[in-house]
Amino acid sequence: MAKLKVVHYINQFFAQIGGEEKADYPAELRVGEVVGPGMALTQNFKDEAEIIATIICGDSYFNENLEKAKADILAWVKEQAPDVFVAGPAFNAGRYGVACGTIAAAVQEELGIPAVTGMYVENPGADMFKTQVYIVSTKNNAAGMRDAVKKLAPLAVKLGKGEAIGASSEEGYMPNGVRVNFFEKERGSKRAVKMLLKKLADKPFETEFPMPDFDRVDPNPAVKDLAHAKIALVTSGGIVPKGNPDHIESSSASHYGEYDIAGVMDLTEETYETAHGGYDPVYANEDSDRVLPVDVLRDMEKEGKIGELHHLFYTTTGNGTAVASSKAFAEEFSKKLKADGVDAVILTST
Amino acid sequence: MKKNYMIITNNPLVPRKLNDEYTVAYMDISYEDVLKEVRNRIHEGHRLLSHPLSGSVKPNETPYKSVMITERREAVDEESLMIIENAIQACRKFVFKSDKYKPEVYEDFQIIDWTLLESAVASADAW
Amino acid sequence: MRLEMGHIYIKDIQFAAESKIEDGILYVSEEAVKAVALEDEKIKSVSFDIAKPGESVRITPVKDVIEPRVKVEGRGGIFPGVIAKVDTVGEGKTYALKGMAVVTAGKIVGFQEGIIDMTGPGADYTPFSKTLNLVMVCEPVDGIKPHDYEKAVRFAGFRVAVYLGELARELTPDETKVYETCTIKEGMEKYPDLPRVAYVQMLQSQGLLHDTYVYGVDAKKIVPTILSPTEVMDGAIVSGNCVSACDKNPTYVHLNNPVVHDMFEQHGKTINFVCQIITNENVYLADKQRSSDWTAKLCKMLDLDGVIVSQEGFGNPDTDLIMNCKKIEAEGVKTVIITDEYAGRDGKSQSLADSDPAADAVVTGGNANQVIILPKLDKVIGTLDYVTKIAGASEETLREDGSLEVELQVLTGATNETGFNKLSAR
Repeated sequence: MAKLKVVHYINQFFAQIGGEEKADYPAELRVGEVVGPGMALTQNFKDEAEIIATIICGDSYFNENLEKAKADILAWVKEQAPDVFVAGPAFNAGRYGVACGTIAAAVQEELGIPAVTGMYVENPGADMFKTQVYIVSTKNNAAGMRDAVKKLAPLAVKLGKGEAIGASSEEGYMPNGVRVNFFEKERGSKRAVKMLLKKLADKPFETEFPMPDFDRVDPNPAVKDLAHAKIALVTSGGIVPKGNPDHIESSSASHYGEYDIAGVMDLTEETYETAHGGYDPVYANEDSDRVLPVDVLRDMEKEGKIGELHHLFYTTTGNGTAVASSKAFAEEFSKKLKADGVDAVILTST
Repeated sequence: MKKNYMIITNNPLVPRKLNDEYTVAYMDISYEDVLKEVRNRIHEGHRLLSHPLSGSVKPNETPYKSVMITERREAVDEESLMIIENAIQACRKFVFKSDKYKPEVYEDFQIIDWTLLESAVASADAW
Repeated sequence: MRLEMGHIYIKDIQFAAESKIEDGILYVSEEAVKAVALEDEKIKSVSFDIAKPGESVRITPVKDVIEPRVKVEGRGGIFPGVIAKVDTVGEGKTYALKGMAVVTAGKIVGFQEGIIDMTGPGADYTPFSKTLNLVMVCEPVDGIKPHDYEKAVRFAGFRVAVYLGELARELTPDETKVYETCTIKEGMEKYPDLPRVAYVQMLQSQGLLHDTYVYGVDAKKIVPTILSPTEVMDGAIVSGNCVSACDKNPTYVHLNNPVVHDMFEQHGKTINFVCQIITNENVYLADKQRSSDWTAKLCKMLDLDGVIVSQEGFGNPDTDLIMNCKKIEAEGVKTVIITDEYAGRDGKSQSLADSDPAADAVVTGGNANQVIILPKLDKVIGTLDYVTKIAGASEETLREDGSLEVELQVLTGATNETGFNKLSAR
């Protein structure tokens, strides 16, 4: 059987061109050459795959000329038409890891060629790309090369052949959010007893199912100088100008509103109301300050307790609105708040 | 005497099984919509009394769901909200096939949903 | 409590004129077992069949799997409060027929499930492809209610298992194992330096085809209590459930509870196995609160250092599992939980319907939504009619070449949450 064709991506350091001083080394294609870690990979491919070309690129060059570097490399990979693309391993080198993740994901996404890379779990590239491409977990420095290619090479071969990929713990890649079944060596009850013994002895143990990430946000440090701070109001309580001009939904909101309250001293029954469908609206409609306390903040502004109230407020209905949508709204208007020089935000709910 | 709880259901067997001591809101809607209806009512201050994912027949497999909530409205109960939101999320991971069974099977789905609810009724009425 | 378990290895099952066990071969008089099954007038007819590992046989819809046992010394009998009269079991001497099982099958509801394949890819997942199975398919009298039919089949299986177990009463076991737990005070004195550990077992208790019985009591109506772990070996807990067969405990699993056995393995060496705590998984939320409060309270009162909690089922029990874990951990008792996952066919969905950071030590029995193709097998015991209607299957399940495209959900015991299997996921 013909060997699988592999294109390998490495940085200037692993190509033995130089360290940081050569990090601006432009992207380069070397057809028919096996460079640096490519040797170790080749050994571990056994006779199943061979590197047909190596792409070398300086870490700074890649990051500073992202679009051009990506386009050039993609064009070269397309021309070489490998069965699988391997990047790195990058260990704990941050820019190299991000470059490996970026280019591996692009090759896979845009060329439809399976790609794999490897790096240390704390490399920023890992979190950025582990759900997009298989990333083999390596030690934090190049001393872990032997170990890394032992996992990287067989996984690359499997991907190249289009074989089913086993569970992360079997194949050595970082958990990527896709649960894959496999058979353990011991039955579950025995694994549970062993895990309990470790837990009882305060020894490290590894859960088989990590609980979902709980998105808890640590509070920011307190605002030191409130008297000169610009404060903005944001609410998920659905307060909108009377008539709900942007038609914010009463539940499962698809957007948020931005409204100017320059000169508004008090929200009244005639001027504001709530769009929220998840609570009794009577009291909010009677006096929207109960949800969005403009009146109190105007008082504090006058008294000099706060510097000023920002002239725009942001609002949506939290009722049944997906967490992902809420996040997207906040990401967008947080930038606006920052750009407007807001120092602190009071976030009210219902 | 009227019970101090109500049942949201799309199972036609439920209103037939329970007499007028019970408040039954029967609606001809989907399993997921029953859960959403319950969620809306939780936002209005009703509290969840039975688990929305009762039973081992999965959402999208059985078309029927009955859920018990309090009749009274109080402050929104956060735990109820968590449970119902997780249940709605869970619906989406099962392949929809509740319209693919032979007609006689639906009666059995109704019976099972009813016995699940019946066990909650037994617990609620013990108070 | 001290229980001596005598294992009698069954190498083959054959139908014969007379029921007996000789040289490891179980001879079954079809006439005799039929008579035992038909003692209940709600069963119109019953047929028996034998399925052996490796044969091209599919058994479905499976209701329960039972290991025949006989109590030869000590109080009570097998299945107390169900078949034997109520008496506390778990001490003395009990014989079990190893390597075989009685499998009950019968259509109770139209979407019923439970597949045991004796060969092929399905056989890798169900633990009951490795046992010699005496299968009984029960047909009910006309017009029977599902409740009555379920009960009739449940009891018929136990009667037949007890009948077969009795055949071993006078035999000499091939192997004997002794299981012994201490009283609270004895344990403290005997193992002062070992961590005190218990097994918390959650029992399915939601309604028809979702029930479990403890000494004959419907588990919905129990408050959490403690058992000597040897009690389950005499059939103190039996199954009344079979919907979503992958993560339900057939009676066979209760009798051979793997957590109990693996904890006994360490008892006196690395842990002091104090007791088994049982609790339920009711539909009513206040029941959940009471049961989880009580379970945590018992852990505290027993001065436990650690527990393993096993779950049974999906969805509703996820809430019980997390409540138990959270509250037990809050009492300072270290907890490991065993569950399975519903991560969707693509493995990308959230596996459990509830979660908490306290659940930091989890063992998983795998993703039950994983799709598997079961090839056409030569023989079906029971009927394939219903396979197309089971949870995790549908009318579209049966493919043109006779193979079935199903989720692991339909395979009896495939993702068992007592840790019965080696299947896992990451």
